[in-house]
Amino acid sequence: MKKIEAIIQPFKLDEVKEALQAIGVEGMTISEVRGHGRQKGHKEVYRGQEYTVDLLPKVKVEVVVSDGRVDEVTKTIVEAARTGKIGDGKIFVLEVLEAIRIRNDDRGESVL
Amino acid sequence: MQSVGPSPYPTPPYLSAASDALISLAGRANRVDHLVEQAGGELLFPTIPEGLALVSVGGYGRRQLFPFSDIDLLLLCRNEELPRDRKPEISAFLQKLWDSGLRVSQSVRTPDECLEVHDQNTELNISLLDQRFLAGDRPLYAALSKKFPRFVQSNRDALMRNLVRLTRERHAKYAGTFYHLEPNVKETPGGLRDLQFVRWMEQLRDADTTRLTTPEAPDDLQQAFRFLARLRSALHALAGRDRNLFTFDAQDALADNGEAKDVAAWMREYYRHARAVNRAAMRSLEVWDAQSSALFAQFVGWRSRLSNSDFSVHRERVHFRLPQQMESAPELVLRLFEFVARHGIRPSSEAANQMEPRLGRLREYFEEPRNVWPALNRILSQPNAPLAVRSMHETGVLFALFPGLEQIECLVVRDFYHRYTVDEHTLVAIQNACSAPGAYGELLRELPQKGLLLFALLFHDAGKAVSDAASGYEGHVEASLMAADAAMRRIRMPAQDRDTVSFLIRNHLELSSAMRSRDLADPKAIHDVAQIVGTEDRLKALTVLTYADIGAVNPSVMTPWRSAQLWRLYLAVYRELTRELAEERIAESAARPGAELLEGLPVRYLRTHTDEEIAEHVALEVKSQARGVAVDIRSLEAAWQLTVITGDRPGLFALMAGTLAGFGMNILRAEAFSNRRGQVLDTFVFADPARTLELNPSEVDRLRATAERVILGKLDVRELLKNRPKPKPPSRKVRVPAAIRFDDEASATATLVEIMAEDRPGLLYDLASAISSSGGNIEVVVIDTQAHRAIDVFYVTAGGKKLTVEKQASMGEELRKVCAPA
Repeated sequence: MKKIEAIIQPFKLDEVKEALQAIGVEGMTISEVRGHGRQKGHKEVYRGQEYTVDLLPKVKVEVVVSDGRVDEVTKTIVEAARTGKIGDGKIFVLEVLEAIRIRNDDRGESVL
Repeated sequence: MQSVGPSPYPTPPYLSAASDALISLAGRANRVDHLVEQAGGELLFPTIPEGLALVSVGGYGRRQLFPFSDIDLLLLCRNEELPRDRKPEISAFLQKLWDSGLRVSQSVRTPDECLEVHDQNTELNISLLDQRFLAGDRPLYAALSKKFPRFVQSNRDALMRNLVRLTRERHAKYAGTFYHLEPNVKETPGGLRDLQFVRWMEQLRDADTTRLTTPEAPDDLQQAFRFLARLRSALHALAGRDRNLFTFDAQDALADNGEAKDVAAWMREYYRHARAVNRAAMRSLEVWDAQSSALFAQFVGWRSRLSNSDFSVHRERVHFRLPQQMESAPELVLRLFEFVARHGIRPSSEAANQMEPRLGRLREYFEEPRNVWPALNRILSQPNAPLAVRSMHETGVLFALFPGLEQIECLVVRDFYHRYTVDEHTLVAIQNACSAPGAYGELLRELPQKGLLLFALLFHDAGKAVSDAASGYEGHVEASLMAADAAMRRIRMPAQDRDTVSFLIRNHLELSSAMRSRDLADPKAIHDVAQIVGTEDRLKALTVLTYADIGAVNPSVMTPWRSAQLWRLYLAVYRELTRELAEERIAESAARPGAELLEGLPVRYLRTHTDEEIAEHVALEVKSQARGVAVDIRSLEAAWQLTVITGDRPGLFALMAGTLAGFGMNILRAEAFSNRRGQVLDTFVFADPARTLELNPSEVDRLRATAERVILGKLDVRELLKNRPKPKPPSRKVRVPAAIRFDDEASATATLVEIMAEDRPGLLYDLASAISSSGGNIEVVVIDTQAHRAIDVFYVTAGGKKLTVEKQASMGEELRKVCAPA
């Protein structure tokens, strides 16, 4: 099992969700996050007050899938989330050791 | 082992009333009594004949045992050693009760411990108010029951303070409202716990030395209790455990079981009862506030001086002096709410009762088209407008005034995010707008008409009842618009204000939708939003509205993340609007025939002016052709406006600003636009602090003539200013630091000079003069003042081009001198 963590642009969330649902990925966790990658922050001026916006708002989508589906799922996310511009985000794939359904203590891939 | 006779704490009257739910509550208590006495008789008292008594407390003590409620049992022990020495017997006893299916929540205390104030365990103190002897050492219990009323009396304040604190904490957990879509029938404001709270407070307040009395509950509370008790029993039965959340699923399941025919109607009934309970609880809290603090009492005394010929203030409540006047002058009701909005004091329950029978008459009165908007606008513009609107809702006056809003009363629209009924959502949104923090609060203060924003919020979801099911998520917007439009025409709101309100309602989802689905870094996306919004004022109002609306969905939706996103969108659109001010001009093709004046003015001009105003400007331009200048001065609602049209000449804007300063006028807003033919259209909105123009109509003519002479070069503006007294140096402790910024990116053709400085008379003249004298030509100006802060934006060129770096440096130097005179 792998966990796929995608940090994407907030306005791409609906598209990514729909694309994942279309390929049968139902469960996911969404969080509102802030951060920056190589797209560093910038200075904003409003009415003479200057301030730095160094952490930009992003959305984190987390899904856990069986090893066999990793390529398909990451490809789907990339396609749905890409604008081709700086700031599109990143995807990380992590190893998952165990999955447990709290309700009935089921374990393994059947939980997904 | 026997149950002893009538306890000194009689059963509350609403419990003795016949009702199936109540009989079953008391019935369960009786059955549990029997089990407890039996287990005690078997396992405790044979070996512990004295020194231990069983006392039921809390809900069990008052014989209100819901099917799966915990059993609150006090094991009253003579001393602290007994529970240790007799642990095996006590454990066996409790285990037996658990085995019989009772969830026992026991406390083991000595009489002395029961007679202490437990600040950390108020529940224990309070549960003892409903004590009832069950079995065991009777003299031991008698000692407690003899001392208890005296204990209550001498610690009344501490007990009440703790109880009030607990209640307030509980209310805060539910955002202080009973209009939850999925309420907890026990804990939510207006629930069973509040009903107990009211009774406890009266019990504590009336405690005398000999016995505690249980006050009679008024009819509406008895009905509410029966309704809530029945509902809670049904919820327990449905879940098979102590579950008090009245979820959508539970609403449907219980309706299927035959508890109700129509879920929506049932929920409305729920809210009606919850409202009665909530009102009683709030009253109880207020009485406590009034009694508990000397400072508060003084304050209340001071507040009673606010009384006037229509209203009197007693105990922090507004009363009608002559309620019968409502018959002949129904507007009195609106003045009452204006008083509420101004001073933040609620109407008394007497006032509410006096209005209630007259609501039908009020409704008839307001059904006729009448000029009600000025009175309503005064209410909505006051600092405590949210309280006034809420009071209008509570007393039913809101619906008498706007029957169109009745459709959303207690309306449940089920979705995953909404926590409140639609009317409560509306009230919370109004509250949110008025208490918006930080930058959003600033935006609110900058709005020229807060009343319009609040009016838009009042109606933004008015169409929720009719059309969402039929036409999808945003389908209610059209219905809301229609309801608002009918209401606005009836109260004779001016056309321009109606436009603003309709704009806000029509677009109330626009910014949240852009936040969700548009790339805020994409200029095209921002341009699109700017096109919809049109002007900075509308952007500000829409931003505050969006902030308020999102936060009113439920308290956790407006996360710092979202708030930052909305602000980012605001900034981007604001910048786009100021950029296009300098760049986007009305093209020949767009200009109307005969209105060559318009060609080359910023596109925004068309959006910020009505057709009538444009026609007037065109007429003024015709007038200007004879003498090269035309000036119009007129009085607005709370200010004056001067419009001038003339051929452009260097320093013109400064001259006009100087002329107004020379007359002692205080400039609030200004715009300067020039068209392709080199004509200038300047508009100044100014205040007349000494009321010179109002009191001396001839001064209006003199100002007009003076302005024309200054423009034509026949009079030196410096002569005018010489006679003015020098402005006093600011004495305020809070100084506004000056900030000057040059921006070459903002426009393709001009340099933006943004100046924020402490406002003072003549400031604009000095700034404009400094720009002109440093060789700058002012192309476009937008001036705004908030409190004592001036925010001035100039688009400046020199020789038709942007300012060079050197020019910026020297001009900046001059401007700084003006902003901070030594």
